[in-house]
Amino acid sequence: MAEEKAARFPDPHEFQVPSELEGWEEMYPSHYLFSKERGEWESQQFWYLDKIHAPEPMPPLDLIFQEAWQISLSQYTTRVFCIPPAQGIAQRMVGPYMYICAIAPPPEEVIGEKAQRFEKRVFYVFEHYDELWDKWLTKFKALGKEMEAIEVPQELPKFVPEDQVLPAPTGCYVSYDILENFNNLVNQMFKGWQYHFEMLNLTYLAYLMFGDVCRKLFPGISESAIGKMVAGAYVSMFRPEEELCQLSRLAVSMNGVANILKGEGGADQKIAALEKSEDGRKWLEAFDKAKDPWFYVSCGSGWFHYEGSWINNLDIPYSYIKSYVERLENGETIERSLDEVNKERDETVAKYRELIQSDEDRDAFNNAYNTVRTIYRYAEDHLFWVEHWFHTIWFAKVREFGRLLVDNNIINEVDDIFMFNRYEIPELLTEMATGWALGVDIPVRGDYYKAKAEKRKKILKAANEWNPSPALGVPPEEVAEPFTVMLWGVTTDKVREWPQGVGEVRPEDVSEIKGFASSAGIVEGPARVLKLVKEIVDLKEGEVMVCPTTNPSWAPVFTKIKAAITDIGGLTSHAAIVCREYGLPAVTGTGVATSIIKNGDIIKVDGDTGVVTIVKRAN
Amino acid sequence: MGKATKPIPNSLRMEKEMDYILDFEELNKNSLQVVGGKNASLGEMISAGIRVPPGFAVTTDSYFHFITDTGIKDTIFTILSGLSVDDVESINSASAEVQDLINNVSMSSDVCAAIEEGYAWLCKKCDLKKVPVAVRSSATAEDLPTASFAGQQDTYLWIEGTDQVMRSVQQCWASLFTPRAISYRIKNDFPHEKVLISVGVQKMVNSRTAGVMFTVNPTDGDPSKVVIEGSWGLGETVVSGSVNPDKFVVDKVVIEISEKTISTKHIQCVYDPDKGKVVNVDVEPDMQSQCCMEDYEMKELVKIAKEIEKHYGCAMDIEWAIDKDFSFPESVFIVQARPETVWSQRKKESVIGKKSGYQLLMERAMKRIKIS
Repeated sequence: MAEEKAARFPDPHEFQVPSELEGWEEMYPSHYLFSKERGEWESQQFWYLDKIHAPEPMPPLDLIFQEAWQISLSQYTTRVFCIPPAQGIAQRMVGPYMYICAIAPPPEEVIGEKAQRFEKRVFYVFEHYDELWDKWLTKFKALGKEMEAIEVPQELPKFVPEDQVLPAPTGCYVSYDILENFNNLVNQMFKGWQYHFEMLNLTYLAYLMFGDVCRKLFPGISESAIGKMVAGAYVSMFRPEEELCQLSRLAVSMNGVANILKGEGGADQKIAALEKSEDGRKWLEAFDKAKDPWFYVSCGSGWFHYEGSWINNLDIPYSYIKSYVERLENGETIERSLDEVNKERDETVAKYRELIQSDEDRDAFNNAYNTVRTIYRYAEDHLFWVEHWFHTIWFAKVREFGRLLVDNNIINEVDDIFMFNRYEIPELLTEMATGWALGVDIPVRGDYYKAKAEKRKKILKAANEWNPSPALGVPPEEVAEPFTVMLWGVTTDKVREWPQGVGEVRPEDVSEIKGFASSAGIVEGPARVLKLVKEIVDLKEGEVMVCPTTNPSWAPVFTKIKAAITDIGGLTSHAAIVCREYGLPAVTGTGVATSIIKNGDIIKVDGDTGVVTIVKRAN
Repeated sequence: MGKATKPIPNSLRMEKEMDYILDFEELNKNSLQVVGGKNASLGEMISAGIRVPPGFAVTTDSYFHFITDTGIKDTIFTILSGLSVDDVESINSASAEVQDLINNVSMSSDVCAAIEEGYAWLCKKCDLKKVPVAVRSSATAEDLPTASFAGQQDTYLWIEGTDQVMRSVQQCWASLFTPRAISYRIKNDFPHEKVLISVGVQKMVNSRTAGVMFTVNPTDGDPSKVVIEGSWGLGETVVSGSVNPDKFVVDKVVIEISEKTISTKHIQCVYDPDKGKVVNVDVEPDMQSQCCMEDYEMKELVKIAKEIEKHYGCAMDIEWAIDKDFSFPESVFIVQARPETVWSQRKKESVIGKKSGYQLLMERAMKRIKIS
């Protein structure tokens, strides 16, 4: 069985990357490449394309998040909480795409040792969750503020300021500060990601445990029903949208504010107009109060520098507010009633509980439910603080370094700094600092770095046109790693379906694809493929959205679309949850939708069965 | 309803006066002795507010008076006496003789009058001259203890007019003496004299789509699912297994359809006015692979299934039909409901056991998921 399947996925060392991507290896650290020294081990593992974290070609500096999670996620499983049969998740780059591998369980004696530690270590977390969460949030906010406070000089001074030399030399100057500060920035990112997983592995484990209990009692229960029972309503990730709703309501209640917000034009124009009236100024005050932290929300997943954040693209929140104000004036409701969501969830739980036949089972169900509900908030709350708020600060800070490099003729554009990985940037900064230190009229190797950045941008662009194999290597016999099961939905069926996707047949010949039936209902309509997050602006009312994955900053989009299809994401993914709330059909985790469906194709989405049919191809 | 009342012989019932026929609406689960399980269940559902086609029960008392007043009673029990369970041939011929006797003797006048009156009442109620009815035998529990015998007794569909109804009632009575029923009673030492039977006369549903449903998934015992099987025409094709029905598995709580299998449904059972009976005919080619119901009809069925299960307090096996002459939701009828036999009789054992949240967590932590 395993051998039959093995033949269907290429060996990672033999897998060919298209020639247009030549030179891709130098973009990433050497430990990210499939290599001879580790060849035997690598060939025996199963590597699959990580479309959750790396749906698009990976800019070198953005790999830092991946690097950080590979270590952090894995260590909490293997060395901290010691989930007995689970090992970590390894990553490799093939071309600019990332493959990941859930490593097979360790030897039995290690499993035994880990089981003892697990028992001893995890229960404290469940018993003290609220207290731990408060502490977590406090330290995390402090870390973000620390990062925000990192100083990047606006310019390299002709001479260091007087007060750094008199009355006594400080002994340490800007040439050093730049390097130290960049290193600090990197370290803080790694620290943030250590925090990210502090309770996440246990949260997912608890979720899977509750899912097991549900499936024992109700063998045919759907993942979406389990998700419905566990999901919280008052979670940080929904706050940005709530703040927008509140600001919209405030605007409608004020004098002349709604009219300005409803007008055409960008945020800048509207802000200028609002500043002219008293109510306008009051409204702006409310906006400013809400924006930190709640508008530090990525326009995408938070994983890529080019996605942008609301706070740096105020046009986005302003355009959402515009449509909310219009809807309010039409007498529509714009908010989801969180109390209602909570009530519905409790009713769902009560109805399943009622169906349980024996008292013992009912008790076990209650125990399982209380356990997962204690901790599940973590899965919903950490996301805003790490991937959105913290990453927004990071990108802004990195761009300050980018600006300095541009001003000193090392790179052409600010964002070119993202074309260099975190080990390379100190080299660029050192070259810059050296040039400054050596004196005036000292040449630097700017042209060399600029050419490198250009070449890499070309490689990433070319990679957009390439659909790599969904998996490499040998499918494993068993998986115990909780993230793999929960987040990537790796199950027997999934692995079997993969080879039928891209690679063997041409995308245009496929007329049906399968995924998770994440939100019920059947609709037909034209497709809008949003492969890059910024393409959101092309979306028209009544289209079916097809995208790699969604996240909460996309929330307002869901009022426009008829249905959603994603490449990645199980029944608890963001798209699944939101579609259920809005009553839109959704098929998630198809693996291939964005590469098979084209803009304008008429597609039928069956959220009951998880099947997407391409009814008519666009011309 | 039912005018003729007579004292019941002490040998069978204690001093109670009985009706020959009873409106379904007068029945409930306590009427089992008088009208049998099927009829009692229909009455029970009506009292619970479930939409059941109207009709009446011909009581066990009618049957008793019929065999007594026509004078065939003694002959029947003489024919049946002394049979041995191994002597299949004698049982077969005794069965034929008794059934013949019941089918061909003229109905006693007071029972006849009562059934006539019942049918006239039903015609009036349905505002039809000759309302088509389904005539079904309804066994009392002491004879046939489990539903496994249910299919044993007869059902006559699309019966019109008093004469046909009367005839079908007699045939139902005769079904009490099939060879299988006779040998079953001999084997279990149950006297033939003590066996009683009732008959149900119920307005036919002019069904576009019909079938069965279970309030538990029969394949895995999942109590959170309603499993619906349906096909075009009358439900007989589904009940008898002569078509592959469309199958839907729907979650009772979130009302999600977790499985939807559309089969190719080659034949359907319909009434043929020329032949004056129900026949199996080919389904139009373009209808064969078409889903036999709309989602809203499916959801209505699920809603009703949940109500019935709640009313009875156990997993149920339900026959339903969607009438083409009525508009939704008045078109959705329940024609039969009985406790599901496999899962509802299973002991309600715990599947998880007494476990704390931590124990469950530890169990999960140790789990590995087989991939190949």
